[in-house]
Parts: sequence; structure tokens; C-alpha cells
Amino acid sequence: MSTLTQIITSPDPAVRNHSLDAFCRGASLAELLTECAALDELRRSSPNLYERVRAAFFLYAIHRYHVPLRPGLNQRGRVPFAGYVHLLNRRFEEAIQVFLKAQAADGPSDALSSALAAAYHRAAFQTLADQVRRSVRSARGNQWMFRIGHPADQPLRVRPELFCHRGTEDTEETNNAETPRTPRLGGTYPIVREATPVRMDLSHSAWSDIFFLGMDFPEGARVLNVSIDLGVRGRDHSPRPPVEAYFRVIDQPVLRLTSIDLGASADISELAEVFDFARDYLGLLKGAVIASGIVPPGIEGSGTRLSDLLARLVGPGFGIELVSAVNGIPKGSRLAVSTTLLAALIAVCMRATGQARNLSGPLSEEERRVVAARAILGEWLAGSGGGWQDSGGVWPGMKLISGQLAAEGDPEWGVSRGRLLPGHHLLSEAEASAETRQKLQSSLVLVHGGMAQNVGPILEMVTEKYLLRSEAEWLGRQEAMQVLDDILAALAAGDIRAVGATTTRNFFGPIQTIIPAASNLYTESLIEQTRAAFGEDFWGFWMLGGMAGGGMGFIVAPERKAEAQDWLRNTMRATRNRLSAAVPFAMEPVVYDFAINERGTWAELLRGDAALLPPDYYRLTLPALLRRDPQTLSPARRAELERFADQRHSRPELAGVVQTLFDALIPRASAADPSARSLDSLLAENGFDQVQHEQIRADMRAGRIGLAQNRLPPSTTLEDVKLNEIDDASAGLPDAMRRLGAEALAAGAVAVVSLAGGVGSRWTQGAGVVKALNPFVKLAGRHRSFLDMHLAKSRRTSRMAGTALPHIITTSYLTHGPILEYVGDVGDVGDVGDVGDVGDVGAGLTTQHPHNPTAPQPSLHLSPGRAVGLRCVPMARDLRFAWEETPQQLLDVQAQKVRESLHHALIGWAQGAGEGNDYRDNLPGQCMHPVGHFYEVPNLLRNGVLRDLLAERPQLQYLLVHNIDTLGADVDPALLGLHISRGHALTFEVIPRRIEDRGGGLARVNGRLRLLEGLAMPSEEAEFQLSYYNTLTTWVHIDKLLAVFGLTRADLHDEPKVAAAIRAVAARLPTYITLKDVKKRWGHGQEDVFPVAQFEKLWGDMTALPDVACGFVVVPRQRGQQLKDLAQLDGWLRDGSAAYVEGLGEW
Amino acid sequence: MQITKAVITAAGRNQRTLPLQRIVDRDGSAKPVLQIIVEEALGAGVETVVLVVAPGDGPAYMAAAGPHAERLVLVEQPAPRGYGHALACAATVVGNEPFLHLVGDHLYLSNGEQGCAARLVALAVAEQCAISAVQPTRESLLPLYGAVGGRLLPGRNDTYQIERVLEKPTPTEAEQQLLVPGLRAGHYLCFFGMHVLPPTVFELLDEELRANNDGAVALSPALHQLASRERYLALANLGRRYDVGGSYGLLTAGLALALAGRDREEILAQLVELLATRKT
Repeated sequence: MSTLTQIITSPDPAVRNHSLDAFCRGASLAELLTECAALDELRRSSPNLYERVRAAFFLYAIHRYHVPLRPGLNQRGRVPFAGYVHLLNRRFEEAIQVFLKAQAADGPSDALSSALAAAYHRAAFQTLADQVRRSVRSARGNQWMFRIGHPADQPLRVRPELFCHRGTEDTEETNNAETPRTPRLGGTYPIVREATPVRMDLSHSAWSDIFFLGMDFPEGARVLNVSIDLGVRGRDHSPRPPVEAYFRVIDQPVLRLTSIDLGASADISELAEVFDFARDYLGLLKGAVIASGIVPPGIEGSGTRLSDLLARLVGPGFGIELVSAVNGIPKGSRLAVSTTLLAALIAVCMRATGQARNLSGPLSEEERRVVAARAILGEWLAGSGGGWQDSGGVWPGMKLISGQLAAEGDPEWGVSRGRLLPGHHLLSEAEASAETRQKLQSSLVLVHGGMAQNVGPILEMVTEKYLLRSEAEWLGRQEAMQVLDDILAALAAGDIRAVGATTTRNFFGPIQTIIPAASNLYTESLIEQTRAAFGEDFWGFWMLGGMAGGGMGFIVAPERKAEAQDWLRNTMRATRNRLSAAVPFAMEPVVYDFAINERGTWAELLRGDAALLPPDYYRLTLPALLRRDPQTLSPARRAELERFADQRHSRPELAGVVQTLFDALIPRASAADPSARSLDSLLAENGFDQVQHEQIRADMRAGRIGLAQNRLPPSTTLEDVKLNEIDDASAGLPDAMRRLGAEALAAGAVAVVSLAGGVGSRWTQGAGVVKALNPFVKLAGRHRSFLDMHLAKSRRTSRMAGTALPHIITTSYLTHGPILEYVGDVGDVGDVGDVGDVGDVGAGLTTQHPHNPTAPQPSLHLSPGRAVGLRCVPMARDLRFAWEETPQQLLDVQAQKVRESLHHALIGWAQGAGEGNDYRDNLPGQCMHPVGHFYEVPNLLRNGVLRDLLAERPQLQYLLVHNIDTLGADVDPALLGLHISRGHALTFEVIPRRIEDRGGGLARVNGRLRLLEGLAMPSEEAEFQLSYYNTLTTWVHIDKLLAVFGLTRADLHDEPKVAAAIRAVAARLPTYITLKDVKKRWGHGQEDVFPVAQFEKLWGDMTALPDVACGFVVVPRQRGQQLKDLAQLDGWLRDGSAAYVEGLGEW
Repeated sequence: MQITKAVITAAGRNQRTLPLQRIVDRDGSAKPVLQIIVEEALGAGVETVVLVVAPGDGPAYMAAAGPHAERLVLVEQPAPRGYGHALACAATVVGNEPFLHLVGDHLYLSNGEQGCAARLVALAVAEQCAISAVQPTRESLLPLYGAVGGRLLPGRNDTYQIERVLEKPTPTEAEQQLLVPGLRAGHYLCFFGMHVLPPTVFELLDEELRANNDGAVALSPALHQLASRERYLALANLGRRYDVGGSYGLLTAGLALALAGRDREEILAQLVELLATRKT
């Protein structure tokens, strides 16, 4: 039996908890592949879910982290396209079969291992997700809802108290419950209001609330969770439950859903619309309506009418209104606001339909558990995902939530070790006295730091590390379990200072051991500053939820709490302003006032005069109602308006509504929008070419250019490159080359060009910060940005070459100011100044060597961009092409439904906003776009940077141009020597392709060896025939490049000539239309993502010009790979890439 | 154990005329619903029938009982305080002995030779314990009935040991507390409107009434208590019950009786004719 299958199947925890890495370190390639075969067999044959999942994770990790490092592995290989398509369509098993077959036929290779790793990884998560889904559906109390397929099956009835008249007394066993109730016409109906606190966790024992963890390792799944009321300091009078849900009967046969916090309301009359989650902002309310059984999930697609279902529930001609309100608490607060809101909505629906005993007051323990189970169901339905403790606010006060071992009779029995739903233990007076609770409130400053980030990737990483039992992380998990015990002990002892010390230890210890990215520069800077300002009175830091930067706690001596609140508000704002160019912030930081809520979720029945919804509801709905003919309003609506009118005098909060109504009803003449003006002026400042823009827009509208037109014709012949046609430096180059390069370096003939014009739309999912400056990882002891790493390499190169290496950073209108500000201050990373004015072209700056002030230092030069474009509303046909005609990653069933509905809505948006129109409905920076990296090098010619540099050092002849995210690229003397000896104008570095390397490659196209962009591939399949991926790292021979433009060094002084030369070369390159996801932020940290169209010209297309002599060289992966997506970060840290980069620089 | 008394509750304020409706019985004779119910009880060997009615309804009910009037004892429920209270009103007359209980708005068709009540009483006597007739019912009808949870007695396919009783449970409660092994998915054992109960139930009802002051009291909580105190069984598949209080309840019950009786052929012929002449 194989060692690894023994580790998985052993009943002995000591063996089972053995780390995979420990075994693999000493294993040869052959041994690893033998183990893989045994693991794959186990994965397919084991009846036990977790054995299968763990085997799949082992397989993933072996192919991702161990096989590629083994000597003897073929570095060049191809991923079968059929397998890739299976992956996209979520047919993971078939994909694995295709890849394994290819491995058996062609032998193992780096490419195939990357494909197998991807397939096993996703198969493992799919298996886990399927299991959670099955468990959610099979939870007792949820099953019946999946059986209801017809209105006549609906067993729920709205309680009689929610009609105008009181319920009749029944004296017979068979009362008249089946007889349709006839709510009295006229008059308003009572309202049930559910107010629910949110939860904050003192410790989640290293994300142990992830379902998968709780279900496999219930012993380690423990969360200490506190229900709290909130208020924003300086805005709200006092803390109150942040989340409210309202339910009432209405006299129209519709489902009226209103989200006050998102400003959306809809009358739903079709059943299908209830299941259309992404159509509007009412997805959460729809999820609640479904998960509470009002519109049971089983009825989806039944073809029945919503009005029939409502007739059964409420009575013919009647309907239900459900309203949600969040009291100004921002998204990303790490307080589980959305899950709590879902739970509140479900609770109010359950009360109204008799599924909870009482219409007012608290819920019973059993009822709370059903609400929690339903909230999980609702989140799954609406395609979001919360943790297992997130509905903790439904319970009162402080509680310990723990995983439960599955027992006989549970749906999970025999499938997983733990149950889906955890157990809740409310802390007693002995465990946390009233005095302790008060002390905690007096010491804790609760804040929202302003960052709102997606925690999803972190949760995946945590799951993976748990299942692999990676050594350090597994120890970290044990420590996190101890931390929770220590916090409990400190609470029992009433020692808040010890609580603070423990939560700090938790943050800097196990949390960052397991997920370094849970922390960030912003948070650590705040902690440092607080420590400096408060000294001994700063008792500790406390990270809320999945990652830092959003919801956080600072524990201080009680007598300094008020001071700390004000100080933190100011400090957070100042720090945010300093970092805003580099770190994605969603909103202004806020400080909360909070109070522990000892009631949990609580309902009240509002009757008679009290039966009014909150004032903001009327602000939202009244303008539309008042515009209507009063005769068309339903009697209940009229009665409600009368009541509102009567009470606006006695209730001051309603009086305010009337004033704002006036503004809403009579829109004032719109003043010129200042941001629109600033967009136009920005465009003018940054060299926007209106004529070119209009031409491109016209071409796009006419269909001459577009996503489909980006591609080369299908008749193109495309061949993979042969090994003898290019240079291979992956196993090193001859010493002669190295010497040649080193001499050129020492002679000062080389400069580095880092392309830093981008705002990392993939990296920050469209948030728009300067990617170069994003301090995303700790290297050599502190947070470092992309730019820091490139500068560290230049420092090392300068020292080794004994000469100052010129380092040019190309910028764009988006990045110039912040980068200029940053490099001026680069000696003190982390202390980024305010965004300054756009500086002078080519500011020659120097950066001092940190340890050796006398060593030669690289000289820095900024090369500002000289071209921008204006984004356009996309063409519906391009959206359809992108979504329907190119292979798309199919999502999980429910998520796919949500995405399809969203696509439909976005196509509607494009048509409504006018296809091809200028995109101006956002911040100016989000409306403009850089026009592609082709322009980066020509900009050096145009903006004078190269001219000045050549004047300063005439010996300069070579440039190394690389992307900001190609972190392994440095001035390697051997590669430079190769470039010199080959005599090419341009030498491009390529790497052997892995499955994740999409977007082009090296190919022989119609006989010419060139780089082909992914956009231009004649078909999706074509890319998979190409063995090498373009890194975009380019060695440039300056004089030969100038010749391509028809220029000499002397011409660089002739600006018009240079501009004309660039325009002439650009005209020979294709124009690509691309779609970019752009975020639009609004409200309290809410954001929408819109796909907008823009055009690009790409540097790699230079290889297609017949008069440019190009060479290509294969380099090691660690040198050429790019960091495009945050999800790559964990792998980059673990597979040796980070260490490689660290070794290239001087820090 | 001998069952000599039956209690029929007919005091529901919105159903008080139902037992007075006339309907054609299996033998072709038209009689009030009440008379058929009383005959069901008498067929089980009962000697005295206690009828719980609303104040002032006595004379009409006595008249509706027809030839069995002399076997009836009338008890009035002074105020509408729920089903449990109505039953408790019969306590004094029933005294300290087990009794058969039927509701006044149901008619029963046995699927055996013996009547439903007779079979239920026979089992109660054999098992020497309380027993309720139940019927597997789709969850969509849960808002209408009390329901029980339990498990099959060893070796039996229609008799259950009751562990839990809930009045008109929501499907969520039913799924969590009333799942009965062996039933189809989405089906629960709901009351049939027919029970053999021990006198203990009056004590339990009395406790409920005292705890509730003036409020209404249902029967199910007392039966739930009963299940925790003594052996309490449920018997399924006695036959069909017809709720004459539901929509078309009287019509359906009449048809069912007719199709099970002497005039089956004639009624079938009339039904066919009706179907054939139905305009679309």
C-alpha cells in the first residue's frame, strides 16, 4: 500500500495528520508518480467523502508543488484542448481522464502536471461543495421545501393576526384553516418587525467556521461570537440592532420586495422572477422568500402562477410585502451583515407563516437553529457564501459555537465526521460576567478600516492547507485552538488586557502563519501607529472575520477609549489618504459605537397607528406613489398614506421625509456635473485623440472591429515552434554569454524599463489602484510592492556591475503622480506620501542602497504615458460573443444561474445606455483607459526620457523591458550576452506553457515566427498547440529599434518627426477591442461591476512586422511568470517563486 | 377494559349545523350526519353517547339523533374555549373510565367488515391502552390536523407507538419531530378524528385549562402529555374519513357513502350521465 493512501485512510490521528510536504520532499519523480496512481485509485474507489477529497488535494499539491521541481521532468509539453474544455464545463473527471491519458502517452511534463493540478483542485472543491449542498438540502426542516411543486402542496399559511381582523376561535379539531381567509378591505395591515444584531468573533480558530472544516474536523471548529448593536460614531445617537426586516400582508396579489439599504423595490408577479437573483438588488430578499418556504425552492420551473401560491398562503387577491433595512453599516464590515440580514428576513417570514411560535419577542433555540439552517440554504441559493457562524447574531450575547460530531440518524452520518450545523452554547455569568462584558465594551474600539475585499480565495486556501496538513499551518491551527481557550480563560477571569494580548497573538501568530495575506500594510501601519500613540494603554488588536482592513478592533485602556475612538478615526483617514493609490479602499473608514446585544433577534408586532414602515421606506416609495392617480392605489395603500400624513406631525422622523420628498418629486435643473468636466479636462491633459476615438467608435458600431474581428482568419496556418528554432536558456547559457553581458552591464550599456502604467484591474478586481505600488506581500520582513521588488533587483545589479543601472518606470495618467510621490520616498517603504501633482517628465531620482550607502545606486527615471482612450459602452454583440461564443468557465449550478441572469441584465444595460456611446457614468479615472503596451516603448522616444538618458550616457544601447508583474525578470548577464551576440533588434523571453498561461504564445504564423496575442488566435483551440507562452520581457537594441521607426538618436530631438514615426508604426499594428470590468462604487461600500469596451495595441505584435529582427529565448518559469491574480499569490509564496525573487534583490 | 361511553364534540361555533345536515347513508336511507356518527359509536359496543354542544343547540341535536336519542347525554360547552375544553366538558358524565371519542363533522367508511370505531375499540381492548386512529396524510394538509410521530410496533404494519403529538404542525416542525419510518416522503400520521382515551386525559386537559386561564385549549398538547405518561398507540388504515365541514365536504361524503352502498350502480350511472353531458 502506498504511504500517502495510508496517511489518508489511517484511523490513527497521528498518522492521518501527517504532512504531505514532509513525505514528498524526499521522493523521486518516479515515486511521486507511483503515489499519484495509488491516490487516484483511492479517490475513485473510496466510499468516504473526505478520503476522496483529501486524495484529490494531495494529487493537486503533488502536481502543483512537487512534480515540477523534480529533475528529469519534461519542461515542454502540451495540454490537450479537449481536457481544457472539460475543465471549463466543470466535467472534472473527464478532464482528469484526458490529462492522464496524455501523460501515459507523452510522458509526464510540466504542462500536464499544471493541468492535472488544476483539475484535481477543482474536482476536490466541487466534491466538497456538492456535499454541503446535499447536507443543506437534507437538513431536517429544509427537505419539505424541495418537495413542493404546486401551489396546492403549499402547507404554510400566513397567520391570522396579520390580517385586519382577529383570527376566529376554533373549537373543532378540523378548524377552518383550509378556508381562505378574507382579509378585510381597507385599513392597513399589521407589520412584524424583526431586529437582529450582527455578530463579531473574538476568535474563529483560524477560519474554522468554513463548512468543510467543521464537517471534517468538528473538534477544531470553534468560534467565540458576540452579538452586537452598532452605531456609527458621530452619526448615530446610540447603537441599535443594525439589521431589520419587515413583513406585512398587502391587498395586491404580488410579492413586493423592498430593500431600503440598496434603494430598490419591485412588485413581483411571476414565479420565475423570484428565482432570478441577479436581476436587481433584491437577491437577498428573494433568497429569504425561498429559503423560508414562502416560495419553496421545489416550485421553481413548475410553470405555476405566483398569484395562486399567494392565494394559498394569504388568500385570493392578497400578497406579501417584505422589506429589509440595514442601518448604514457598510459592506465588508466583517460583521456578517448580509448573512444576518438574510437570517432576519427568514426569521420574520417564519414567524409570519407560523413556523416560529411567536410573532413577537425572541425565538426558541429550535427556531434559531432552523433560521441558521435556512440562512445557509438562502446563501447557497443566491450564490453567495457565508460561514457557519455568520448567523450568530440571531442568538443573544456571547456564545461559543462549536462543530458537532455527526451521530446516527443525522443526514451527515457516514458521510462526514461532523454535522453541517454547529451547536451554540451561550456563555454563562460564570464564563463571562456582566462586569466583564461591560469592561469589554469599555475597552474595545470597533472600526471599519475602509477596505472591502473578497475573502473567497482565503477560505479556499485555508481549506486546502487544512486538508494537506501543511506543517506550519497545521501547527498554526493547533495554536489557534489554544488561543480560543486562552480568550475564554481571560473572559472568565475578567481580564480584558489578556484578551487583547491573546487576540494580538492570534493575528500575528496563527492567522498569518496560515494566510499571510490576511494582514496588509494598512492594518499593520495602524497597529504600529496605535502602539506608538497609546503605548502601554494599547492592549491589543483584533481582526474581525476573514481578513484585516475592514472590520477591526483595537483594545485600549478604558479611560482612553473615547480618545482612541477619535484618534483612530483621524489616523485611519490619514493613513488611507496616504495609501489610497496603492491599496484598494471601498469607503471612508468609520468608528463604531457598539453594545453587546443580550436579546438576540427580536420581533415586534406593529398594529394600528404603529403599523408604519421606517421613514426611509417612504422616502424610497412615496415619489412613485404620489405621481400616480390616487384612484389607482389599492385601499390599503391609501389608508397607509393617510396614516403617514396623520402622523408626520407627531413623529419627527416622518416630518423629515416630507422635505426630501419635495426634492425627489421636483428634480432641480441639473447643474453641470463637476466630475464630467474633470473627465474632459483629464482627457485633454493626457493626449486623448478625439479623431482616433471617433474612428474607433464608428468602426466598432459598424462591426468592422470587435471581439470577433480581433481574431485572425480561420485560414491562418499556425504551427508550434521547433526546439532548434529558438534559444533555450532554461538550463543555463554558456559562460561566454555571461561574460559578454557582464561587460556590457559594467560599461553602462543597459537600462531597465518597468511598465507600470496599469491599475491592476484583475489584481484588485477592477478597484483601480496603482498595481506597481500595491504592497501585497511581506518579503524580507516587510510588506513590499511590485515596484519595491524591481528596485531591489536594480540595487543588486548596480552593486554587482559596479555601475548605476538606469531604471525607467513607465507610467500612465493613472499612475504617474502616485509613483512619482513614491519613488521620491522609496527609502522608507510603507510611508507613502499624498498623491502629488504630475511631475516633470523624466525626473532623475536615485534610490539609496539600504545597507551600503556608498554602493552604486540605480538611477530612476519616470516615463509618463502620452496616450489615453475613453472607454465605451460595449456592443451587445461583443458581450454575447464574450459570454456565449467563447468557452466560458461554467460555474456551480446555482452560481451559473445567477451569472446568466446578470449577463442578461448587463446586455440590457448596454442597450439602454446606448451601444458604443462614451462611458462617462463613473469616476473620470474609471472612464479613461490606457491604450495598450505597444505605446510604452514609443513613449520613451516621444517624451524625451530616452533622449535625455542617451545624452547623459551615450554608451547606452540595450533596454530590458518587462511588465510590472513579471517579478523574476532581472538584468541577467547571460541573457543580455545572448541578445548582444544574436544581434536582434528585439529578443523576447518565453516560458514553457502551463494550463493557466492563457493569452497568446510563440507561433509560426503563415510561415513567420512571431508572438501571437490570445485575442488574435484564430480559434480557442489554436493556443493549445503552442508550447511557449510570451512573458513580454523584451531585450531591446536601441539603435535597431529606432531604425524600425525610421529614426536615429539625433532625431529624438525632433518631436514632430518622432510623433509621426510612432503613428506610422502604430498604423501597421492591429487594433484590438477588449472588454474590461470596471467597478462603480456607490452607497455604503456597495459596488457594481460593468464590462466596458476599450481598444488596445500590443507590443508583441511588433514581432509580426517583417522588418523587425526578433529573437526568442526560453527562460525558466520563475523568471518569466507573471502575477496577475490574487488567487495566484499563495502558490507563488509556496512554490519557491517568492524565495527566488527575494534572492534576486537587495532589500 | 370495557368501552361503554362515547363522546362526540359538536360545539364548534362555525360548524354547529353540520351534524344536522341530512345525507343518504349506505343503506339508501336519508338521515342526519349526527345519526350516522352515533351509529358508528353504537356499532363499537358503546352504550351511552355524550354529545358536547353549544348552549341552546341541544333540542336540534336530540331531534337529529333520531331513534338513538335516548342513548344521548347532552353536555353544553358554556364558552368557546377550544376543542380541548369541549372534550373536558364531558368529564363528569364519562367519569373514571376509558371512552371512545369522535368528532361531530367527520364521517367514516371502513375498509373492512367492521366499522372503523369498532375496530379501534377492539384494538384498545386487546392492547389495554389509549389509541388514536391516524391516516398517512400529505404534508400540504398539515394545517388541518393534529399529527403524531412514533415508530411501528414490532411485527405490525399498521400500529404505531406514539412518541409525540403536535397540533397543526408546520412542515418544518413535522420534518424535525414527526418523521415516521416507513411512510412515503412528505407524509405524516394525522388524526382521523377518532380516539379511545383513558380518563387521564381529563386530568391533563384540566391542567392545560388551568394553565391557560380563559384561553382556548386544544386537545393535542394533552395527548402529547399522555404519550409521555402511558402507553399510547396509533392505528392506521382503518378506512377513509370525510370531513363534511370542508369545501364540497358534504357532497364528497354523500358520494362516498353512496358508492360504497346499495345504490352504487345507480349513482355510477348518474355520474356517467353527468360527465357525458358536461359542457366544456
